[in-house]
Amino acid sequence: MPHQCVKCGTLHGDASSAILKGCTKCGAKLFFFVRDDDLARAKERTFDLTRKEKDQIEKDVYDIIGNEIDKELPVVLDFESISILGPGKYELDLVNLFQKKQPLIYKLEDGKYMVDLIETFKKFGDKIKK
Amino acid sequence: MINVLKSFKNFFSKMFGKKKKVKLGLYGPPNGGKTTLANKVCLDWLGEEMGSVSNVAHETREVHIKEQVVIKSKGKELSFNLVDTPGIATKIDYEDFMKVGMKEKEAKERAKEATKGVIDAIKWLDDMDTVVVVLDATKDPYSQVNVTIIGNLEARKIPVLIVANKVDLKKSNMKKIQAAFPQYEVIGISAKFGKNIEAFYEALFKLAGQ
Repeated sequence: MPHQCVKCGTLHGDASSAILKGCTKCGAKLFFFVRDDDLARAKERTFDLTRKEKDQIEKDVYDIIGNEIDKELPVVLDFESISILGPGKYELDLVNLFQKKQPLIYKLEDGKYMVDLIETFKKFGDKIKK
Repeated sequence: MINVLKSFKNFFSKMFGKKKKVKLGLYGPPNGGKTTLANKVCLDWLGEEMGSVSNVAHETREVHIKEQVVIKSKGKELSFNLVDTPGIATKIDYEDFMKVGMKEKEAKERAKEATKGVIDAIKWLDDMDTVVVVLDATKDPYSQVNVTIIGNLEARKIPVLIVANKVDLKKSNMKKIQAAFPQYEVIGISAKFGKNIEAFYEALFKLAGQ
């Protein structure tokens, strides 16, 4: 399934190397996770946000995830759980957030890695497993 | 015989250290009065307050814990760690904070912290032994937040007590809250003025199985 760069809105195909190395257009490592049936919505998503707003969103997301996370590693946001409509505007899908088995954020490392944020929060301290 | 068993139990718990402290969580939508209730409990039994309260939603944006709260009623004693959590919401918009006079930058920061607070509150749910859901008795109880919280507590088999707060206000409607959640005990209180707080403490004992 595709991913969309939070900063510049570029869509990257499934298993694209950009998700690991950074966006091919702007180098950012923060992506929205896009379901196939949600592609049309994704294309509009960052349309009217300014560069400054996108930078702010990126900063806010890292703040929400926590300081312990390595910013050099790619982060993929799953829109099923949290939507960020702009800086300071959040929509939370509580049903998804409460479901422990539903991953909130996918974090990719070496191409085969997935983290549930809720679980991740608990495990901060013993660091993210390699 | 029962008394003998009890004294054995007490003896061994003293010998081998106490079992894990019961965690009592306060959950609910923003501005229901969770922190006001936490403050009332702490003031009554510890002589000090727990956190700051305000009329602006999402005042509590971090999980706060007060350890070793001991309440007494009719010769019984109940001891727990009180966990006050940020309000759970489905939508957090900085413009709502600006409407009540906050500057844009501060409002956006508050929105971000409130979002993190919701995630943290949900994360903590698994650690709770019992939960008091604090609802605003002047508001419609049939909200997604209320139903999701209570449904999830039920699914996790965590004992629940529902508190309908702000019954001192004319607009409050205890019956509506009771009708919304008929399978739970609902206690109407005013955490701010201490109204019916004794009944709340009694219900806590019942909830903890004492």
